[in-house]
Amino acid sequence: MDYETLKLVWWLLVGVLLVGFAIMDGHDMGMGVLLPFVGRNDLERRAVINTVAPHWDGNQVWFITAGGAIFAAWPLVYATAFSGFYWAMMAALWALFFRPVGFDYRSKIQNPIWRSTWDWGLFIGGAVPPIIFGVAFGNLLLGVPFHFNDLMMSTYTGSFWALLNPFALLAGLVSLGMITFQGANYLMMRTEGDIYRRVRTASMLSGSLTLVLFALAGVWVASGIDGYVITSAIDGNSLPDPLYKTVVVKAGAWMLNYNRYDWAIWVPIAAFAALGLGVMFAQLKKAGLAFWSSSAAAAGIIGTAGVSMFPFIMPSSTDPRSSLTVYDAVSSHLTLGLMLGATVIFMPLIILYTSWCYKVMWGKVTTEYIAANDKSAY
Amino acid sequence: MLTEELVDLSRLQFAVTALYHFLFVPLTLGLAFILVIMELTYVITDRPIYKDMVRFWGKLFGINFALGVTTGITMEFQFGTNWAYYSHYVGDIFGAPLAIEGLMAFFLESTFIGLFFFGWDRLNKWKHFMVTVLMAVGSNLSALWILIANGWMQDPIGAEFSYITMRMEMTDFWAIVFNPTAQAKFVHTVSAGYVTASLFVLGISSYYLLKGRDLDFARRSFRIAAGFGFASALSVIVLGDESGYTVSESQKAKMAAIEAMWETEPAPAAFTVFALPNEAAQRNDYELQIPYVLGLIGTRSTTETLPGIKEIKDKNRTRIESGIHAVVALERLRKDRNNAQALATFEAHKADLGFGLLLKRYTVDVAQATPEMIQQAVDSTIPRVAPLFWSFRIMVALGFAFLLLFGLALFYSVKGTFIEKKWLLRWALWFIPMPWIAAELGWVVAEYGRQPWTIYGVLPTHISVSNISVGNLYGSLAGFVGFYTVLLVVEMYLMTKYARLGPASLGTGRYNGETRQSGGGGPLPAGAPANRI
Amino acid sequence: MWYFAWILGVTMAVLLASMSAMMCDAKECALDEARKQGAGNEPHA
Ligand code: HDD
Ligand code: HEM
Ligand code: HEM
Repeated sequence: MDYETLKLVWWLLVGVLLVGFAIMDGHDMGMGVLLPFVGRNDLERRAVINTVAPHWDGNQVWFITAGGAIFAAWPLVYATAFSGFYWAMMAALWALFFRPVGFDYRSKIQNPIWRSTWDWGLFIGGAVPPIIFGVAFGNLLLGVPFHFNDLMMSTYTGSFWALLNPFALLAGLVSLGMITFQGANYLMMRTEGDIYRRVRTASMLSGSLTLVLFALAGVWVASGIDGYVITSAIDGNSLPDPLYKTVVVKAGAWMLNYNRYDWAIWVPIAAFAALGLGVMFAQLKKAGLAFWSSSAAAAGIIGTAGVSMFPFIMPSSTDPRSSLTVYDAVSSHLTLGLMLGATVIFMPLIILYTSWCYKVMWGKVTTEYIAANDKSAY
Repeated sequence: MLTEELVDLSRLQFAVTALYHFLFVPLTLGLAFILVIMELTYVITDRPIYKDMVRFWGKLFGINFALGVTTGITMEFQFGTNWAYYSHYVGDIFGAPLAIEGLMAFFLESTFIGLFFFGWDRLNKWKHFMVTVLMAVGSNLSALWILIANGWMQDPIGAEFSYITMRMEMTDFWAIVFNPTAQAKFVHTVSAGYVTASLFVLGISSYYLLKGRDLDFARRSFRIAAGFGFASALSVIVLGDESGYTVSESQKAKMAAIEAMWETEPAPAAFTVFALPNEAAQRNDYELQIPYVLGLIGTRSTTETLPGIKEIKDKNRTRIESGIHAVVALERLRKDRNNAQALATFEAHKADLGFGLLLKRYTVDVAQATPEMIQQAVDSTIPRVAPLFWSFRIMVALGFAFLLLFGLALFYSVKGTFIEKKWLLRWALWFIPMPWIAAELGWVVAEYGRQPWTIYGVLPTHISVSNISVGNLYGSLAGFVGFYTVLLVVEMYLMTKYARLGPASLGTGRYNGETRQSGGGGPLPAGAPANRI
Repeated sequence: MWYFAWILGVTMAVLLASMSAMMCDAKECALDEARKQGAGNEPHA
């Protein structure tokens, strides 16, 4: 495969991994967000937690692998984004700390304060990371204040508080809504009785809210913020050097791809449709279909951000030519090819055995089951 | 600005979080295989006691595993947050094993650990056994890939610098995978994990035996730990020797510092058992040596010499002086790719680029480096001797102590009399923390000994860091210390609680302290003295 | 080829340790169990 094709393939693959993360880790993070509200006593909460007990760790690896893949495929993005968004990353990381410990230690001690502390820990671990990743995406759309020196050392000149601007916060809410929707639909499949009734309401609420917020964000991007355009010729096969291009900032530029490619507009349309269908299926008590709809919605929403910005990944607002794109933030030809090979081999295997695990553990998790397996359940 | 303070804090944060992560890793690596052993015995013999063993030791495994995962994510984040230039400069090589680790190992381990805990009633015993095996293999594969990555940092082969992309680029993936340094590191480190877990099981079983409770459970656990531990202790030593050999091949400065060897000695060099290294005077104030041994271990020959610190410094001075030309030419090339003259100079001195970059610590414009700066850079190429010298010796001494302990444990378990050897049981109990000490010191030797490089001979630590404010680092370091202290307290509390509770924590009604079920198979009386048996 | 040695070594060590446990079943652990049958009615110490 030639270098240019590989670069494009990796743009798609990173997208696939992020969508995989939103679908898989999304549903257990959504569970965390809902936990304090849909479980009204210890048994109910344990039932909710145990719907993901055997799976949360495997799901979390989608996140770890997406991170690893960005490191391997786009080292400059990994380096610049993580160091630039330092405090946001630390907050996401520390929020994630609550998950493994919360799941595993919560029910090992019979003390109400201990248990409710970890329940809120799981809430933080479920709510904070999606908000932060949403805020990060919002800031990518706005452009990030960083530049490179001649030796490609990056310097970030913004502050943490500047990340929390209104548009980025809106993006954060879209992301939180999407994850909560995903979690609620998953819980509909795995619970019954009171819990089921509560998560169904949560699903319809979060789905509709996400739809509204996403539309709002779309209007904002189209009318209120500047996009970026590469003005020099692009040679997709050249060795990557971000400083070797020219870039200008232009109002409405993030809408250009929708004129350039006819198919592009279907990505946001799919997101809207999937959100609407998801709410409808929840209303009709079709939990499985609702779950697939919210999964498709996650793909549509992440895809919309990607397509709008293409080929940019991380535009620089202070030094536009330092912007990182699909063509110049990437690894070598050899590494991209190799990693593609590894992904093609392992991804189907992973999907296979993960599905098997879900199949083995499938079924409603009830409070009676928890009471009967007090010592071994989470 | 990359100040000394920023670099030191970044290093401190990495060291604290990595050493902390490695408190949980070895137990996971080893206990996973001990669980495999116990479950294998269960599927063969069909005795429920082995299933109880898997479940009880599995509980402790789970408590440890949770923190292994928690702290592991920190490690992955930190390359981006705190080592941004490093991530850019070597991401092309370093990122690949990390991503493959996720795809190949973490997914396997983390997916099956769920079934391991929750699948008992839904899988037949062979299927469950396979799940346990896959979990163990997954955890060990994760060690494989991260150590291939780390092995490459120690011995960076299969890669080349490109002045256009301004980074190292991979040229030969398989050379990186089969890097002898990585191989030796992997087998030595996982063996260390097996020793750690074996001693953990041996020690806790000894505790029950000393208390005279859960005897049939503790006996079998003890035997398994003794057998597996003996094999592992042996392999740690053999492969530690192999690690030492790869170090003396690829990192002569580290070797000389570990051995406090200031002067080049005629071959075969003597091994220094004990010394008081004196950094200022560049000599040992006192030393106790065994002739020939180091030469034999280090070079596996009687004729090759191992260079001493002073000789290494002289060589490095030449490389630094040549490196200056490489850096200057590179800076010109970055301004104008087509400068043929700069390209020619650069190609001629490319091999010493990393050495030239060492000077960036003292001056922005390397061309202006003074002789004093060059001298400082030369001195910095040798890691500090005393910490390495002692860390290494404590690790090795503990290694031999483990071999002795497991040797005796295995001997008496074959004879079937270990339960009477109170001194052995007490020794095992009190030795539980020692493998952790050995393993952490091992990392200090490997990582501190690599200084001043992050990528040996290629990328100095000083310029590897993220260009962020020092305030960020004080803040995040404080956060990590705070979080990690609380987590450790919680973990230790649960671990000791469940270890003391013993297999009774499973609620099967068969073990110490549980209310007796009617019918046979009830527990032994609590506190029955061991010596009555 | 240390990777290969590792695969071999771990397999051997696993089998060795498992055998050691089964020896226990045959020898002194069997004694434990016999004793336990007899001790079935003793009260807690
Ligand atoms: C993949 C790479 C990698 C891996 C697997 C490890 N390290 Fe490392 N280590 C580094 C990459 C690194 C580094 C990025 O290169 C550091 C950071 C700063 C430095 O000097 O080297 C480092 C520094 C560093 C230091 C401080 C050295 C100093 O400040 O002089 C210690 C004590 C350790 N590490 C210990 C560990 C432990 C206990 C590890 C096991 C989990 C470990 N390292 C794995
Ligand atoms: C500095 C480099 C390292 C990074 C970036 C790193 C990364 C990680 C991550 C992200 C996890 C969590 C995986 C999950 O969620 O299941 C993890 C866990 C683990 N890591 Fe590390 N790790 C490092 C060093 C090491 C080393 C040197 C070893 C072994 C020799 C190791 C062995 C393991 C194992 C066995 C686990 C499983 C969880 C546990 O410890 O219980 N890691 N690591
Ligand atoms: C006679 C016994 C031993 C010898 C000769 C030995 C030798 C070595 C050497 C030379 C290194 C440095 C490798 C490098 O710099 O790249 C090392 C590292 C290490 N050692 Fe040991 N060691 C011994 C015992 C132990 C024991 C008992 C443990 C733990 C239980 C242990 C754990 C480690 C670890 C975790 C590392 C870091 C990883 C690595 O570099 O392989 N060692 N050892």
